[in-house]
Amino acid sequence: MTGRRRVAITGLGLVTPLGNDVASTWNGLMDGRSGVGPITVFDASGFPTRIAAEVRNFDPDAAGDRKLLKLAGRQHRFALAAAAQAIAAAGAAPTKRDGARWGCVVGSGMISADFSALEELHRRFVKDDRLNDGLLGREGLSSVADPIEFCRTQTVAGLSLLTHRFGIRGYTATVHTACASGGQALGTALNAIRAGWADRILAGGFDSMVHPLGLSGFCLLGALSTDNDSPQTASRPFDRTRNGFVLGEGAGFLVLEEWEAARRRDARIYAELAGDGNSLSSYRITDSHPSGDGPIQAMSWSLEDAGVEPRDVGYINAHGTSTPMNDRSECRAIEAVFGPEARMVPVSSTKSQLGHLIAAAGAVEAAICALTIHHGRAPGTMNLHNPDPECALDFIPNRTRAGAVRVALTNSFGFGGSNNCLVLRAPEAAR
Amino acid sequence: MTAGGPLWITGASAVCSAGRTAEAAWQAARAGRSGIGPIVAWNAAGWPCEVAGEIAGFDARDFVPDRKLHKLLSRMDMLGLHAAHQALADSGLLGFRDSLPEGERPRFNERCAVLAASGGATYSNQYDFFTLLSVAHGGLKSFGEELTSTVSPMWLLRTLPNNVLCYAGVQTGFKGPNANFTSHSVSGFLAVREALRLLADGKADRAIVVGYDSPVEPQTVLYFAGLGLLARDAVRSFDAGRDGCLLGEGAAALVIETADAASRRGAEPRGEIIGAGTATEAEGILAIGDEGEAVRRAIEECLAEASLEPDRVSMIAAHGNGTVPSDASEGRALLEVFGIEGPPVTGFKWATGHLMGASAILEAVLALLSLEHGEAPGIAGLRRLDPSLTGLRVSPSVQPIEGDTGVVVSRGFGGSAAALALRASRRG
Repeated sequence: MTGRRRVAITGLGLVTPLGNDVASTWNGLMDGRSGVGPITVFDASGFPTRIAAEVRNFDPDAAGDRKLLKLAGRQHRFALAAAAQAIAAAGAAPTKRDGARWGCVVGSGMISADFSALEELHRRFVKDDRLNDGLLGREGLSSVADPIEFCRTQTVAGLSLLTHRFGIRGYTATVHTACASGGQALGTALNAIRAGWADRILAGGFDSMVHPLGLSGFCLLGALSTDNDSPQTASRPFDRTRNGFVLGEGAGFLVLEEWEAARRRDARIYAELAGDGNSLSSYRITDSHPSGDGPIQAMSWSLEDAGVEPRDVGYINAHGTSTPMNDRSECRAIEAVFGPEARMVPVSSTKSQLGHLIAAAGAVEAAICALTIHHGRAPGTMNLHNPDPECALDFIPNRTRAGAVRVALTNSFGFGGSNNCLVLRAPEAAR
Repeated sequence: MTAGGPLWITGASAVCSAGRTAEAAWQAARAGRSGIGPIVAWNAAGWPCEVAGEIAGFDARDFVPDRKLHKLLSRMDMLGLHAAHQALADSGLLGFRDSLPEGERPRFNERCAVLAASGGATYSNQYDFFTLLSVAHGGLKSFGEELTSTVSPMWLLRTLPNNVLCYAGVQTGFKGPNANFTSHSVSGFLAVREALRLLADGKADRAIVVGYDSPVEPQTVLYFAGLGLLARDAVRSFDAGRDGCLLGEGAAALVIETADAASRRGAEPRGEIIGAGTATEAEGILAIGDEGEAVRRAIEECLAEASLEPDRVSMIAAHGNGTVPSDASEGRALLEVFGIEGPPVTGFKWATGHLMGASAILEAVLALLSLEHGEAPGIAGLRRLDPSLTGLRVSPSVQPIEGDTGVVVSRGFGGSAAALALRASRRG
């Protein structure tokens, strides 16, 4: 590994349920605020779950010019806004000259179609619950086949908007491993810079499943908390009374930069993105093994990749979804990796405040780890009043904690069994 | 890139409209037989486009023996899983793993990477909500109230764009590094490139890389037709009279191993992957520059990584999607890199349709077979080369290949381009 290129985090951008930029999100975390409330973006009054962590007071027209935004759905606008913040914070934007050495890697969501388009298709072309092929063939071209709608619903729509908006012409990729997408996007970007495929990469994740189909999907699985009358305490990872996750939305973007290039231009370095570990649980589609098998490998491999020992780790941002299974399995995994000292490592789940941002979660939580290192203060796990005896770690319950953090870990585990763990290291600790 | 030693292809597979195995699909292409025919997935008579490359007589049981999975997987997922298993069978990898002492298998499984190139979200998965929409009579409140009694609890899981990655892992037991690229038609080469990196970095010894997609859906046909991207009846790559692309479905997979890992188990290489490159034009989701600038940069990066001079390339499998701007700009990029009368150029979309998320790996597999057979299938519908591409060595009939090295090109939405260089080990 000698001579391997190292990677600096030089820009951060966030659009989250706690605020539409880095400062307000961070302040919300530090104040212990909850971003969860009744769903307002559509009428969810008939659904089993009627709460979510929505992005609020977001100016949907501020993220780009009209021509660009025409092709952008809600989640893409979050992405454009967060990415613009990250590039501004980095103080380095792609130019005509170096755009081919910039990359863009994004974790993008699983459903992108617009619910109103489905309703329209149903209203006009469905008979006896089936598409009327003949009618659709005759009239579809002039009604259904809206090119703007097509562009907006492509899986690469977000990536395409970002590369176009910022002039990124090098290595570009969209990845999707459900709730691990954001973390895997950053890991893919880290390795692309190491491999020399790019020198700077705009990397992150964006998602909004706070729409009728997204909410339906998770309600059908019974994965969401139904604490509709107490939204602010509905997400309570590691609590004995936890009863499911809370759907969130937003975007997180980071500017990753080859270390020496960042140093040469005297860039502010929030942290080093030092390691990536990716494993496959190969167990069940929705769960990890109760033993933590799968997540254990992701954490061990990321530590090994970063060349750090478990005892160096000062903070873990847990996947911590607040579902009964995940939190227990994740605790077993942390215990397996950290051994007898597992209880000495501060662990928190910021999903207690932000909800679960699905494909954006891993990127937003990596940004939170960078801020934890930068500010020397770790966010806590809110709503943790009845500790689950099966989850006995130092969860920083109901407050934040001051103290220098040299190395932070962030976990993201997805439906489908993909597990991602990233290691971030304080810039001064990265010789 | 491959400083850790050569990276061998030890297994390959394909399933598409032209054939249910890689060899059958290649033989069909060689014989000038296309798999494109009238759409049967729905009654498309009178539609703006009536043909596509569908898998004839699709029966889930042919592709996924475990019937319990049929409710949990979409058609494209089944094709992907099938291709993964076929490539693994070709490699003999699972038989070798199962011959190991039980204690060594967990380590073996953790050193196997699983990489997928997926078509991502489909439109037709949402059609499972039609009944609910009918019941709800346009009211969201009643939509929510009737949800759980009307739609399958498994709906979301069946729509996951990473299902093949998941079930390939569950069924093989492989637990190594993994990724699922949903980057349109360049996904396959992003996945292969990730495999090369993981093997070269020592993060895995082996990788199964699978691409799969099934874009032959009513809404996609309408969108493509509305954008003027679809041909009337055939894909005529690089022809002066070409009029567009056609959709196709299918999957393909490669097993890639370090030469060291493969030879330790006594496996022979079918070929080697020697380089990859990617680039983006960034002018928007559908925009295509006139000069094929990203295609050129992707090929140049690929050749540099492979330490390959353009005149050492024995064949090119072009993207050749049959649309006017894409073929013109790609042809110009090929002429710029490889010169007038460079290596033979072919393409396969006339025979298979455009498999989108699966196209890159499918075409890499068909290119590998072309190199193995020493023959590049012709582009069957080609009548007269686009006069702006004079010197591009395409042909309607089979062209002999002198040498063992091929370059495969793929382009995707968002101005993305990727290239892969491979070398065949077997000849004849």
